[in-house]
Amino acid sequence: MTALTFDNIVNSAIFLLFVKGAVLLILIFYAIFALLIIRQVDLMVKTLITPVSPVLKVLAIVNATVAIGLIILVWGVL
Amino acid sequence: MFPSFVENPQNCSFEGQDADEKILLLLRAHPITNLSWIISAFLLVLLPFLIPSSLFFLKVDTSFLPPLYGLVLAVINYLLVAVIVFEGFLYWYFNVFLVTDKNIIDVDFNSILFKNIDMAPLKNIEDVSSSISGLMQSIFHYGNVFIQTAGAARNFEFNNVSQPDRVADFILDQSHKINNSPNL
Repeated sequence: MTALTFDNIVNSAIFLLFVKGAVLLILIFYAIFALLIIRQVDLMVKTLITPVSPVLKVLAIVNATVAIGLIILVWGVL
Repeated sequence: MFPSFVENPQNCSFEGQDADEKILLLLRAHPITNLSWIISAFLLVLLPFLIPSSLFFLKVDTSFLPPLYGLVLAVINYLLVAVIVFEGFLYWYFNVFLVTDKNIIDVDFNSILFKNIDMAPLKNIEDVSSSISGLMQSIFHYGNVFIQTAGAARNFEFNNVSQPDRVADFILDQSHKINNSPNL
């Protein structure tokens, strides 16, 4: 185990900031992808119309909402 | 619940379907072809449980990392699982082959936002062949159906469909029916 020195604290703070930035970047990419999935599902359900289509549309919207909500949550919490 | 071989599907239609056109056969790839993304998703589900023990085994110090960060990374991992499962299902569910009483239709979604629909009239079908090759296809009875159409029209290949021999026979029967009909 490493000793708790000022340098370690600063280094770990910078590291945590880097992790937070990386996590936010991943979530932003995921949210963009989730929005593209909504468009993709829309395209798919228009091509083949089945009783499952509305369920898949709702799932795609829920997925995108969770992705956007998570960005806000991570921004505030981390 | 989500069959891959449906004769006379109910409550199902497609873009560009004529009012008097009826879907006779709806085909998807055999469900076993989904195994690759199911295994990937399953391994990713296990990942958050394996990483802490691996780090402990490698004697990596992660004490400076607040528990919340671990939780967020686990949530990102499960988002990835969700998208793999959702996309895998979407591609399987919507990549269909349809045989109607007029046409054969091949609907392809190769990647996100890419759609390709091939259509050919049943009367243009010249030759249909089916093949089952390899261990998995032999065990689970699925394979490819190759349809040759007349003239410059492109040929069709239905990949990994269930009961390819039955599909080939069905398409040929429908083609004969159309070609022998007195209205032609």
